[in-house]
Amino acid sequence: MSNPTADWERVGDRFYRKIKLYDAVFDQDLELENYVIAGAPCAGAIALYRDEAKLHTYRGSQTSKSGIDVYSCAGKLIRRLNWDKGSIRGLGWSEDEKLLVITEDGVVRCYYDLQGDFTQFSLGNGAEEHGVKGCRFWFTGFVAILSNNHLIAVSHYNEPRPKLLAIPPEGIVHSWTVIPPAYTLSRSVEVLLAIDQTIYVVDSSEAEDRVLPNGPFKYVSVSPNGLYVTLYTEDGKVWVITSDFQNKVGEYESKAKTIPKDVQWCGNDSVLLAWEDEVHMIGPKGALLKYYYDGWVHLLADIDGVRIITNDVCEFLQKVHSATEDIFKIGSTSPASVLLDAVDQLDKKSPKADENIQLIRPNLPDAVAACVQAAGQEYSTHWQTQLLKAASFGKSVLDLYSSDDFVDMCEKLRVLNAMRDYRIGLPLSFEQYERLTAEKLIQRLINRREYLLAIRLSDYLRLPTNRIYVHWASQKVRDSTADEEAICEKVVNKLANKRGISFEHIARAAYDEGRSHLATQLLNHESRAGKQVPLLLSMSEDELALDKAIASGDTDLVFFVLLHLKKTLPLASFFRLLTSRPLATALVESSARDQDQSLLKDLYYQDDRRLDGANLLFSEALAQTAPQTKVDKLKLASKLIADNTKDPTASLYHKSFQEAQALIRLQTSLDNDLHGSDKVYTGLSLNATLHRLILSAHSKRATKAASEFRVPEKTLAWIRLRALVAKRDWAELEDIAAKNKRSSIGWEPYFNEILGAGNTKLAGGVFVAKCTGLTVRERSDMWVKCGMITRAGEELLKARDAEALEDLRARASGGGVGEIDRMIAQLRPKR
Amino acid sequence: MAPHPGIDTDHIQEKARKDLLDLLEGVRGKKNLVIEKSLAGPIGIFVKFSTLQDHGVDKVFFLENDNVDASQKNVIFLARGENANQPMAVAEQIKRLQKQSSIEHEFSVVWVPRRTLVCNKILEEAGVLGDVGVEELPLHFIPLEQDVLSLCLDDSFKDLYLRKDPTSIFLAAQALMPIQQAHGLFPRIIGKGDNAHRLMELLFRMRSEAAADESTTSRFGLMPSASIESLIIIDREIDFATVLLTQLTYQGLIDEMFGIQDNQAEIDSSIVGSAPGPQQSARSPAAPAQQGLKRKIQLDSSDKLFEQLRDTNGAIVDGLLNKVARRLQSDMESRHAAKTTSEIRDFVNKLPGYQTEQQSLKTHIGLTEEIMKNTQGDIFRRTLEVQQNLYDGSDPSYQHDTIEELISRDIPLTSILRLLCLESCISGGLRAKDLDNFKRQILHAYGYQHLLTLDALEKIGLLSSRASANVLFNPIGMGGGAAEATKTNYNYLRRVLKLVVDEINEQNPNDIAYVYSGYAPLSVRLVQSVIQKQHLLTITKGVSAASNGVSSAAPGWQGFDDALRNIKGETFHKVQKGDEQAVKARHMLAGTGGKVKTVVVMFLGGITFTEIAALRFLAKMEEGRRKILICTTDILSGDRMVEAAIERRDFGRG
Repeated sequence: MSNPTADWERVGDRFYRKIKLYDAVFDQDLELENYVIAGAPCAGAIALYRDEAKLHTYRGSQTSKSGIDVYSCAGKLIRRLNWDKGSIRGLGWSEDEKLLVITEDGVVRCYYDLQGDFTQFSLGNGAEEHGVKGCRFWFTGFVAILSNNHLIAVSHYNEPRPKLLAIPPEGIVHSWTVIPPAYTLSRSVEVLLAIDQTIYVVDSSEAEDRVLPNGPFKYVSVSPNGLYVTLYTEDGKVWVITSDFQNKVGEYESKAKTIPKDVQWCGNDSVLLAWEDEVHMIGPKGALLKYYYDGWVHLLADIDGVRIITNDVCEFLQKVHSATEDIFKIGSTSPASVLLDAVDQLDKKSPKADENIQLIRPNLPDAVAACVQAAGQEYSTHWQTQLLKAASFGKSVLDLYSSDDFVDMCEKLRVLNAMRDYRIGLPLSFEQYERLTAEKLIQRLINRREYLLAIRLSDYLRLPTNRIYVHWASQKVRDSTADEEAICEKVVNKLANKRGISFEHIARAAYDEGRSHLATQLLNHESRAGKQVPLLLSMSEDELALDKAIASGDTDLVFFVLLHLKKTLPLASFFRLLTSRPLATALVESSARDQDQSLLKDLYYQDDRRLDGANLLFSEALAQTAPQTKVDKLKLASKLIADNTKDPTASLYHKSFQEAQALIRLQTSLDNDLHGSDKVYTGLSLNATLHRLILSAHSKRATKAASEFRVPEKTLAWIRLRALVAKRDWAELEDIAAKNKRSSIGWEPYFNEILGAGNTKLAGGVFVAKCTGLTVRERSDMWVKCGMITRAGEELLKARDAEALEDLRARASGGGVGEIDRMIAQLRPKR
Repeated sequence: MAPHPGIDTDHIQEKARKDLLDLLEGVRGKKNLVIEKSLAGPIGIFVKFSTLQDHGVDKVFFLENDNVDASQKNVIFLARGENANQPMAVAEQIKRLQKQSSIEHEFSVVWVPRRTLVCNKILEEAGVLGDVGVEELPLHFIPLEQDVLSLCLDDSFKDLYLRKDPTSIFLAAQALMPIQQAHGLFPRIIGKGDNAHRLMELLFRMRSEAAADESTTSRFGLMPSASIESLIIIDREIDFATVLLTQLTYQGLIDEMFGIQDNQAEIDSSIVGSAPGPQQSARSPAAPAQQGLKRKIQLDSSDKLFEQLRDTNGAIVDGLLNKVARRLQSDMESRHAAKTTSEIRDFVNKLPGYQTEQQSLKTHIGLTEEIMKNTQGDIFRRTLEVQQNLYDGSDPSYQHDTIEELISRDIPLTSILRLLCLESCISGGLRAKDLDNFKRQILHAYGYQHLLTLDALEKIGLLSSRASANVLFNPIGMGGGAAEATKTNYNYLRRVLKLVVDEINEQNPNDIAYVYSGYAPLSVRLVQSVIQKQHLLTITKGVSAASNGVSSAAPGWQGFDDALRNIKGETFHKVQKGDEQAVKARHMLAGTGGKVKTVVVMFLGGITFTEIAALRFLAKMEEGRRKILICTTDILSGDRMVEAAIERRDFGRG
């Protein structure tokens, strides 16, 4: 096994290593120098397209077809995207491996799944007139520069909102770059523009000149952690300054006569300059390292290093991790290094193994931790194994040790090794994997259609697999050439018993592919109505959508469908849909009642619901202000139900409508006659009108109206009684008592009401005597209520009820007692 | 009432509070809050106005008043988004402010309990969707008490039975799902009534939808709950009559006379005295400037005295108040007995308690006096008499004279309608001639606009003509094989479920019938027939249940099938099974110890305070065996029920 330090190089006091990830990456015929190339962060896919500005050899018609090729890092072609939208001015990736392509006229395409599906939006803000000159990307967004130096930023790709940044000055932009929002004070993206001799910093509100004297700068580059900026001057000097432009960190004279093709950061503390086939690394304090290649070199910067791509190889250049350095550095005596050696000795069955352990005993826990950490940094499985073995050996000696880190690392390494296989081509470093997270890694596998591996990985890491199945099925319904029944069956069988499967998603894929029958079939397996309905609507399956919405019980959904249908269908067909669906009808009715009465009228007419129609007109009559229009509406309502007077309800309606009209007329005339058309009577009920008339001493009118409306005698008697009492018209009441022998409601109510109004004299004096239907005792009680104890006693005396008299005596007071005693005495049998 | 170990209502309240305040915090700086009227009360139950102010709320407006001003840059709307009215109002007001105001406002809309497609669409069509931040506040059940959860849907009764709009069923299902998520599946779902049936179906449907949802990776839905015994769903439609009766418990009487809304009653301060201090005012954001003579009284278990009184029969409240007054007096007198300093300190420590107690005593004495004044009145007495004769089963036509007289005496329309509807419900409709006659009298006495009222009552099914009734009620009931009833046959049930109980001890009640002084609410009898089979059989048949062959452990409605066949709507009893292995595993782990389980009783369409009292009475009888958690769409009363139908406009406009 080769020594792990074989690919190390010292730069200043640190070590860098260049790991050969894959070889024979690209076809030798591919002229990399003629291609623009962009790599997704965290060892993601690589996109290439032919640089139109460069000449290229004619190779027959096959290659002249323009397109964007997406490769894995191992050089496996993932997808060829046809391109016919005009010249490309920006090509880049987002963190979640979305490929962004920006054209000269400001159209942005976002290929979100590596498979050619894209969303598209336009930059606007003058991009079309002035043309896009170039773009710079960060993990979640990008900035485009126009030919008039205007800058447009897009900070995310879900519902993207292109935003114009502050206007920078005119002038030739020698180079430019962006500082991602995560690293700026303002938390929004900042752009560094090299114009003339200096650098301008542009954000959303202002463009500020940083007043640097040494320009013009041919390259500007920001370190991955956003803290430092590298500037490359025309005369071959490299400046490193802090990104707030306050401190100069380093300066280096490259002595190069030609300006490099690319300048990139490698990690956070060295800078790479690339020429055609030569890469220079400038480390801290100006240390220099040179690499030479056979072919054209492209640099793809990542968070913790740089991928170097040539036709032959894909290499990863990064700083050696301190844990690794401690273990493998020549002559290292660190505990971890000793521990590693111990394992070696153990294999050789040498007693030195134990000696080694004893030697580092006090530092053993740290040594174990270091070995675990270093294992994560290794790409070679041999050294991974050795280091883990060492850790395992070390922890077996320890009494107390939590194996979590160890187990965790084993798990992660297993994942990383699987990903690094050339057939997958995701050569993630440990840091990159930590940053990417397992979920996003699985998404990358899904996008590459590595379904089996994705499922294995999810199972291994105990993550949900439903998304993988859904993606697989969506792909299946798109691409399969089998007949639709067979596809549906296959998909459904495969996904049966799986939890969390979104059939709606699959159905939508089928629908987008134009297989609407298949889509409908698949949708039947979707159990969430909320998902079914919108798709059904967009498929114009109106009736089905309505039925599914009703079945869901979610009125919001039903309502939503109804709103949609009302807008898209002719009224007659809309009503036809309603007829067999009472719930939908009820919802339409209840919402139309508040908002759209004419719709309601049409609905009732269509369904021949005369009574409801009449109710509606009646309700409109209520809303009218002028008496005449009220009457008119009532007439209309009458007419609507005039045909079927046999129905008892309809006849009641009919009669009530007539009466209501009559009452309105009566009240209008009363108001005109008695109150100079002040609205005193208008709006009162019939009984209240009568009450009011009597109260205002228009008794004759009241009697007349009562007979017109055929108010029952009893009712009128009550109304008169209450009105007279309210009026305190005692004389009239007495008159009634005098003139009438009997009353339709009996005399008791008179007594009660008058007593309730406080007139005991009238109540007792006139009305008790008239209540002939009551018992003696009841009558005597009535006297008592009026405070007329003596009269009560007399009543009882007449009936010779001694017992009740005794009771009465107990309740009496003052002079009354004597009276009662006298009466009791009268009743006592004389002996 | 003891807190529920199974379902912690405090937790629900705390979560609602936190969710709301988080949303308010989400908008930086000061803001104006525009709130839908019907949400203000419920929110007032768990957040004080001062707390809202602490979280940056400057002014509160009612959505219905359409008067939000431009005094703050930030404006938050809080409304229900289930039908089109509120979203339209919100959109209108946003547009108005945008047009009128000189400053650029930041709008956010918080939809309760969820962001609906409809409100999206309406805001979109109004062209404001792009300008507003849209959030949702998943406010489902609001705990009115520790054992009562309400959705506070004021219109639920009207929606369900008049407009036939089942939104509240869906919302109820959505509210019950989190309970299942937290505590496991309801092992049994038992219910009566068509809407109840729909709710049950929705619960099953939602369970399968939750399983299909990509985002749920939890193993939800595998296990029946260990702490919940069952869910009993009662559809209000099966028992309208109970609601129509005058409530005779203390709380019920207060509700009848003054109306209780969201645990508060607005009462004339001449009755209860003026507010004792500033600490009680501004209890809720809904409390605008205190109206001259009205005072808001908080009626919940924070008032210990009220907690004792509320479920007792109103007839004995004055006696109880007497006792409390005497005890309080002697407590206060104890200061004279206090000799040592420590005794005096003891007394002083208790003093604030005495003072609040005294204050609440004063309030309740005032209330009781007012109630007594009313209950002794002629009209109240006669109304009650009619009710009693009706539920006793005497010939309803004997009551017609009294009802006619009451109409002539112009008593409130609601009272008249309640009596007529009660007669209609109990005897399966009025004779066509009588009904016609009453209708005419009502139109004469209260105005022709009530033609619409009467129509609405018939649509709800509260009022009907006997000719149109499909079943002529007979006390024998329907046979075994008959299809489900279209109306509830009270004549039959009166005997079979012993709805009328003559010997009622109001002091120490022995049956739920005490809440109506002799009538046992059918709805609660049904709950009894599930959880107190033996007891109920003893009452109704007078035999011990053992000889009857129905064990008290029999599930569902068993033993009362005949009774249920004579009640309107579907009858169902479903068992929710989980993953069998998981269930077995839990059996192994936990065993089947005699833990106290909770029975969740859901009233769809509303519940009255009297029924709550009756259920609490059951809970007391069952103490130690099971607990009862009452859920409802809203608090209902007879007045609120008929008011759903009443047409409020008249011909006097203009």
